[in-house]
Amino acid sequence: MKISGPFVEKILTRFIKEELAKFGFKKGILGLSGGLDSTVCAFLAAKALKPSNVLALILPYGKSSELDVRDARKVVKLLGIRYKIIDIAPMVDVYFSEHPSSDQIIRGNKMARERMSILYDYSAREKALILGTSNKTELLLGYGTIHGDMACGINPLGDLYKTQIRQLAVHLGVPEKIRKKIPSAGLWSGQTDEGELGLAYKTMDQILYQLVDLRKPKKSVIAMGYKKADVDRLIRLIKNSEFKRRLPPVAKISPRTVGHDFLYPYDWGK
Amino acid sequence: MKVGLAQFSPRLGDVKKNLELHLRYIEKAKKKGVDLLIFPELSLTGYSLKDLVEEVALHPEKDPLFTKLKDLSREISMVVGFVDEREAGLFHNSSAYLSGGEILHIHRKVFLPTYGLFEEMKFFALGRHFKTFNTPFGRTGMMICYDFIHYGASYLLFAAGSEIIIVISNAPGRGLSEQDAYDSSRIWELMGEAISRFSSAFVIYCNRVGFEDGKHFAGGSFIFNPAGQLVCRASYFDEELLVQNLNLDDIRETRKKWPYKRDEKPEIILESLKRIVRDYED
Repeated sequence: MKISGPFVEKILTRFIKEELAKFGFKKGILGLSGGLDSTVCAFLAAKALKPSNVLALILPYGKSSELDVRDARKVVKLLGIRYKIIDIAPMVDVYFSEHPSSDQIIRGNKMARERMSILYDYSAREKALILGTSNKTELLLGYGTIHGDMACGINPLGDLYKTQIRQLAVHLGVPEKIRKKIPSAGLWSGQTDEGELGLAYKTMDQILYQLVDLRKPKKSVIAMGYKKADVDRLIRLIKNSEFKRRLPPVAKISPRTVGHDFLYPYDWGK
Repeated sequence: MKVGLAQFSPRLGDVKKNLELHLRYIEKAKKKGVDLLIFPELSLTGYSLKDLVEEVALHPEKDPLFTKLKDLSREISMVVGFVDEREAGLFHNSSAYLSGGEILHIHRKVFLPTYGLFEEMKFFALGRHFKTFNTPFGRTGMMICYDFIHYGASYLLFAAGSEIIIVISNAPGRGLSEQDAYDSSRIWELMGEAISRFSSAFVIYCNRVGFEDGKHFAGGSFIFNPAGQLVCRASYFDEELLVQNLNLDDIRETRKKWPYKRDEKPEIILESLKRIVRDYED
């Protein structure tokens, strides 16, 4: 699962540059949390585009993540990209004061979608394409909010496992403090990815790599020494999250139907 | 003989724009004294066409675009990739060799990859032949991308007397390691080395660059000489016109030393193959 940092940087910066040009954008926009994935995405965007053409939105909920905001500010300063800090607490609090919930996932998903809504609003205001920051581990396990942090225009990071993003981050010169941070979706305070998923990223990525990239059958992966319960759980997470990776099924009635047999490339005429 | 490989990135589904790009490369190549200019697979249309196939299909016998390219081929020979509507409603992924104002040969892709990220059989009709033909530079055979991965196809071109084997391709990069190249680039280079060496023929491989629907075409166009030596290779990323002088005497020189061609026994291969295929169980 080792990668060449310079090679991957070259692919992904060209991807960002080419996709923006194809769709007529000069600018890229992304949500910057101060965590590893969005920081790596910001580094790639700043290399692919002029730093002044990259806008990072830092979107904290009140004062719940002040340390992350401080890290995010360091990143934008280091890269010389534009940024805006918008507190989402006023919008989110109005909603929950009318429709209260103590369910952390419901609250966290609402926040993720509030951020998405602001990103799309600024995408239109700034004529900037949204750069996604979901990695392959998250996409496979469905560890993200549908129509929330998973929403984007293009995703440069979606075919790199978390541990590969760490390797890329070293090559790109991402500050050690951010590289060593404990990964968190930030849906609530104290949440950690590995705590919630029950496994270290290193183990998850290796199991996923065997199952997905190398197409090894489950029993061979278990025979390699991984716990059956862990492998089973990851497979279950993959299966149960296919809906997050696809457009919803359209009921097919006509001879030619969107999502079934009306088949055109994404880059139609580009 | 001077060969040019136009490793570029066409615009998806826009034949008019792509013709302009071709004309630009043809101009550039002419200035550099290129005798044979090779474009990648589906160079006039782009790759991920899906239902666009019918909209970009061409008729080489009567299309003004081909009249224009045929005229230009009086000054410079060329290979282009296009969608060929051979019969009404049957679309082929094809390559045309143009020279001296004529289309010398059209190859229609036989092996249409339809697995994983490929879905060509859904949109294209099958070609049925591997043939060789005479050109000003020697007896030539053509393949398109996945054709080349099936070594039986190369054998047919070898048995039919190819001195020059031209492969045009749209191969996306797949698989990472610590190397500064995709794992998949090795597949093509390995085949290029083996086929050139054991056919004692030039193998000229022209791939494209750029992204389509997130797929990254991995360039790396190359030429191997009849002794199986790498003569030149283009970048894995950049658009470029790679120009290379080839010494056609290498074919004779190599075949004198390594008489694979002389010692080949296509009759035995044919009879054995017939028996093998006959014995296949249902």
